[in-house]
Amino acid sequence: MIKPVRILSKVLRHRKLEDNYYSLTFGDYKAASKCKPGHFIHLKLPESNLYFRRAMSVASADAEKQELEIIFKAIGRGTKQLAQFKKNDPIDILGPLGNCFTKPAKKETVVIIAGGVGYPPLAYFATELVKSGFPAKQIHFFYGGRTSSEIVDRPRIKKLGVNFHPVTDDGSFGEKGLVTQSVEKFIQANDDLKSKLYACGPEPMLKACDDLGMKYKLPGQLSLEAPMPCGIGVCLGCIVKLRDDGYVRVCKDGPVFEIGEVLL
Amino acid sequence: MKPVLSVEIAGVKFNNPIMTASGCSGYGEELADIYPLSILGALVTKTITPEPREGHPPPRTAETDSGMLNAIGLANVGIERFVSEKIPFLKKQTTKIIVNVGGKTIKEYVELCARLNDQDCIDMIELNLGCPNVSEGGMQFGSDPKMTERVLKEAIAVCSIPIIAKLTPNVTDVRVTARAAEQGGASALSLINTLVGMSVDHETWQSRLTFNRGGLSGPAVKPVALAQVDAVYSAVKIPIIGIGGISNYADVIEFLLVGATAVQIGTALFVEPDAPILIMRELSAYMKRKKISHVTDMIGKIRKF
Ligand SMILES: Cc1cc2nc3c(=O)[nH]c(=O)nc-3n(C[C@H](O)[C@H](O)[C@H](O)COP(=O)(O)OP(=O)(O)OC[C@H]3O[C@@H](n4cnc5c(N)ncnc54)[C@H](O)[C@@H]3O)c2cc1C
Ligand SMILES: Cc1cc2nc3c(=O)[nH]c(=O)nc-3n(C[C@H](O)[C@H](O)[C@H](O)COP(=O)(O)O)c2cc1C
Ligand code: FES
Repeated sequence: MIKPVRILSKVLRHRKLEDNYYSLTFGDYKAASKCKPGHFIHLKLPESNLYFRRAMSVASADAEKQELEIIFKAIGRGTKQLAQFKKNDPIDILGPLGNCFTKPAKKETVVIIAGGVGYPPLAYFATELVKSGFPAKQIHFFYGGRTSSEIVDRPRIKKLGVNFHPVTDDGSFGEKGLVTQSVEKFIQANDDLKSKLYACGPEPMLKACDDLGMKYKLPGQLSLEAPMPCGIGVCLGCIVKLRDDGYVRVCKDGPVFEIGEVLL
Repeated sequence: MKPVLSVEIAGVKFNNPIMTASGCSGYGEELADIYPLSILGALVTKTITPEPREGHPPPRTAETDSGMLNAIGLANVGIERFVSEKIPFLKKQTTKIIVNVGGKTIKEYVELCARLNDQDCIDMIELNLGCPNVSEGGMQFGSDPKMTERVLKEAIAVCSIPIIAKLTPNVTDVRVTARAAEQGGASALSLINTLVGMSVDHETWQSRLTFNRGGLSGPAVKPVALAQVDAVYSAVKIPIIGIGGISNYADVIEFLLVGATAVQIGTALFVEPDAPILIMRELSAYMKRKKISHVTDMIGKIRKF
């Protein structure tokens, strides 16, 4: 089990990606070597009457340089504050937190399904897989957004050499429709493949992925979100219902769960 | 000279006056991954009930200005699993252990105390009097002075571990229930529990909590908590443990000055799980600077107009 640490880090790079999407890279992050795909960090906002930390998935981590990157969309009060951070600003980081994705078997085809701000942990996962020698061509990266500008950070996915399947609601980039519809078509067309699904995104998308996994009997993992007061498992605020019975904490027992495990 | 931080309540000696608050530090395991629990004055567990409870469905917390609302619904493992799964871990800790319990009837409180009386690692029991009393129509135990006195009397009869009565702030005059708890034989009082509140989304018209009502905590409640501790300090003789919005050493000192002997830190742990460490360091530095040799020298020393 990972032991979280609270570290005062600083902003090293601030990049505006598209529209409302930003990438922040923090330096002096001594826990970078402990980060694995699926982990998240909890960021303290600058002094304000906003009380909770904000959870952000690790989008990349460099153990040697002690760097950690997050990618986020400025949608609410907290993320808008994060977007204001400038180079060298100090930032209080609690992490790494949660569990992580488990690696696929050598022969498995990896089907990644990213929706909107669900992209960062999956980009990290795909990057680390390729780095570890997993064939990039065995990875299918489905990435859904409402419109073209929501498919961010494309150069990185292209550089990885994975099969890239962008999908937009309005058809302005890639296939038109819902990302899970494209995934279903892919599954149907490749039913001879042994696939494993990895998904992160809005809840309706995760529910559809869960359904796909059950319908086609494909194993896989879903990374969930919930409002998180503490992020370390003590408040019992971030719970989801298990299919079996009872609740689990997204922050401590997750955020990564097996397909079929939780009731979405 | 090194300032002395230790305090004594009902014969129990605490290394320092900083405790965690119930429901904000689980059963200790998660915090122990971040720092050794031995640095705490005491760990207070989540409220334990006779049967396991799932609690309310989500969403059961909401962020508010300078605080939060919670309607967790006393989710806990229940007394039997607490004894078999959590006590072994707590036994290994060198910090003082306070177990918080809650029931729906007086009988349930009494049975919980009797069951805990067999365990040898529990230093104090804290009765959560903010639980709804089913036999009295769901009204909180702590809002009825007669019930408060009775539940304490009956619990003490079966239990030799000293008992803290945790008072609810949702009453007209907290001094009345405080005196009732003292009358019933409480060794100490702790206050405040959360204040009833709610939160609505003006865009969707949706209540932010499935339970609609929740308990307000965090820095937002500190002024209310200070006033209640101050009021109770002049009404009773037993020690008071101050709770409510404490986030830093200055908050701790404020509670000591209005009459608290020790304090509990709740919601602040969510933002700064290591707050107790920082508080202890800064409290020592403050005492050195002010040439105060013992924390107890500050209790009740507020300069009032
Ligand atoms: C494990 C985890 C990983 C995440 N990773 C990313 C990421 O990599 N990139 C990214 O852009 N976003 C990510 N999020 C979502 C991000 O934390 C929310 O968008 C953010 O909390 C909303 O904050 P806000 O202050 O801007 O919005 P506000 O709506 O003003 O926030 C109000 C409160 O609601 C909570 N909240 C509101 N919406 C959400 C939501 N969808 N999920 C969780 N909490 C919510 C906030 O935590 C906050 O307490 C992640 C969330 C979790 C739980
Ligand atoms: C999420 C949460 C859960 C809580 N659960 C309990 C509980 O189980 N029993 C109890 O007596 N108090 C519970 N409390 C109340 C706290 O122990 C404390 O009295 C209150 O929050 C005020 O202190 P604070 O402002 O430091 O949090 C809970 C508070 C929060 C925020
Ligand atoms: S956020 Fe507190 S338990 Fe998960």
